[in-house]
Amino acid sequence: MNYEFTEILETIRMTEIEHFDIRTVTLGISLRDCHDRSIEVTKQKIYDKIVRYGREHVKNAKEVEAQYGISIANKRVSVTPISIPFDSFKMEDFIEIAKTLDKAAEEIGIDYIAGFSALVQKGMTNGERELIKAIPYALSQTKRVCSSVNIGSTKAGINIDAVNMMAESIKLTAELTKDKDSIGCAKLVVFANAVEDNPFVAGAFHGVTEPEIVLNVGISGPGVVLEAIKEAGNVDLQQLAEVIKKTIFKITRAGELIGRKVAEKNGVPFGIVDISLAPTPAEGDSIADILKAMGVEDVGAPGTTAALAMLNDSVKKAGLMASSSVGGMSGAFIPVSEDMGMIRAVQAGNLSLEKLEAMTAVCSVGLDMIAIPGDTAASTIAGIIADEAAIGIINDKTTAVRIIPAFGKKVGDMVDYGGLLGLAPIMEVRTISSKGFVGRGGRIPAPMRSLTN
Amino acid sequence: MNFTESDIRRITFETISELGPIATPDVVKEAVRKKVETSSTNPFEASKKDAVSGRVILTSFGLNKPGIVAAITTALGKANCDIQDLSQKIMGDFFTMIMIIDITSSQKDLKEIQEEMYKTAEPLNIKIYLQHEDVFRYMHRI
Repeated sequence: MNYEFTEILETIRMTEIEHFDIRTVTLGISLRDCHDRSIEVTKQKIYDKIVRYGREHVKNAKEVEAQYGISIANKRVSVTPISIPFDSFKMEDFIEIAKTLDKAAEEIGIDYIAGFSALVQKGMTNGERELIKAIPYALSQTKRVCSSVNIGSTKAGINIDAVNMMAESIKLTAELTKDKDSIGCAKLVVFANAVEDNPFVAGAFHGVTEPEIVLNVGISGPGVVLEAIKEAGNVDLQQLAEVIKKTIFKITRAGELIGRKVAEKNGVPFGIVDISLAPTPAEGDSIADILKAMGVEDVGAPGTTAALAMLNDSVKKAGLMASSSVGGMSGAFIPVSEDMGMIRAVQAGNLSLEKLEAMTAVCSVGLDMIAIPGDTAASTIAGIIADEAAIGIINDKTTAVRIIPAFGKKVGDMVDYGGLLGLAPIMEVRTISSKGFVGRGGRIPAPMRSLTN
Repeated sequence: MNFTESDIRRITFETISELGPIATPDVVKEAVRKKVETSSTNPFEASKKDAVSGRVILTSFGLNKPGIVAAITTALGKANCDIQDLSQKIMGDFFTMIMIIDITSSQKDLKEIQEEMYKTAEPLNIKIYLQHEDVFRYMHRI
């Protein structure tokens, strides 16, 4: 036989028992040719284009799932940052465009469409300002639309004016969706150094340097890594890194295969594999559990950041060896609400916002899916965003804030969204004020790239 | 296939540049009409022929009992699948069997064979997975 008995059983075990799945296949569609002076014509063009390219997306992905026996958790679509092609429109028009995206997403049978976005790290055009104003209304009046705004980059610094606007946007979104535990905020990401080919919703968008259409894949397999670490037993850290790399290598290879096949079926070019470890609320599919298996008593214990750094680095090394198309975020995600281990660590009082922030300096993304008290001041949220963006621009990495000031909730309460978004305990935020700093406005200059100490 | 306004516009521009100096409104109109009738802007239709074929790995396991191999091979034989390799182990009360089968000459495609095997597995109270060989090749071979 060409394959060893154990190899075949290993694959079966990964897919059937350890929750190895392809987290998302995301079809990136350019909307740059959809602009028209008339908003009605524009809406029709957007709708037609998404439906034309996306119609078979879900069906094709399902066929590939069956063929290889690896499930694809999400089939999604990302589009050109809406502020770019439609810069001439006003706030009301942008809300209409969001509704059109929502309708197109429903028509092709996907749960989220991302790209209601603006890139304002250096400054804002009129259209971008209008789009940011529209975000809270767009997110509260649609179900499937996700929004992201890039407010900083290593090359441009941090646009604190935009940070302040986003903090207000987040607060208003929370209020407008208060009936559903402020769920609108779960669909809104504030980025620094956003990447253009990220397949992971809510932060996905189809960058302006991307082709007309492309298919990107995000893989996910915390459960597989967890089992491999448990099986390795009491080995030293070099050997442990080896175990992680071997596992990630295999799942990246599978991810690339699935991505290429879905792209082939769709008749579109294949873009990248994002080799992120993304948890789900399912038991065992948790980054926190991996960190605990590596040896820390709970997430938040001293040593957690080092363990996470090693995990993240091993993931990247193995992924790069396994595929020549690595892109996107490519690292470990630590969203609180989507990871049962993280939730427990917060509830036990072991994991604070500050420790999470430190952890984001060494892993993918940032303060993700964190619920905070609804009465947190906008300036405090702006401070949190600025801190996180600073980590990003200084370390030349992507960071993001997806924070939920849950309307009317206090520390100790829970918000529960069900499904992949999971549930989150409200975390404590320091109440000392950031107002004097972020209130100055303006832009934090771009950092220097030498003397990096 | 429904063409949008922008598709037609694109095709028209392409046609004009293809025709070069001989482009007159009538010639262009005729050429565009032909193109719209024959071509398809739908990117999916070209790849429809990709019916799944080739080698598939069948993995089955469950509590051991008589007749499992017989049931599986009978179903495969009926579907005209060629068994190229077979390996079986008993561990305690459990049996595991892995087969490499070629479904190229089968009148059924992978999806139908999978459904067939799920039906076979159910009364025997075992699990049967069918996965295309590529996934194993990608994961375990560099």
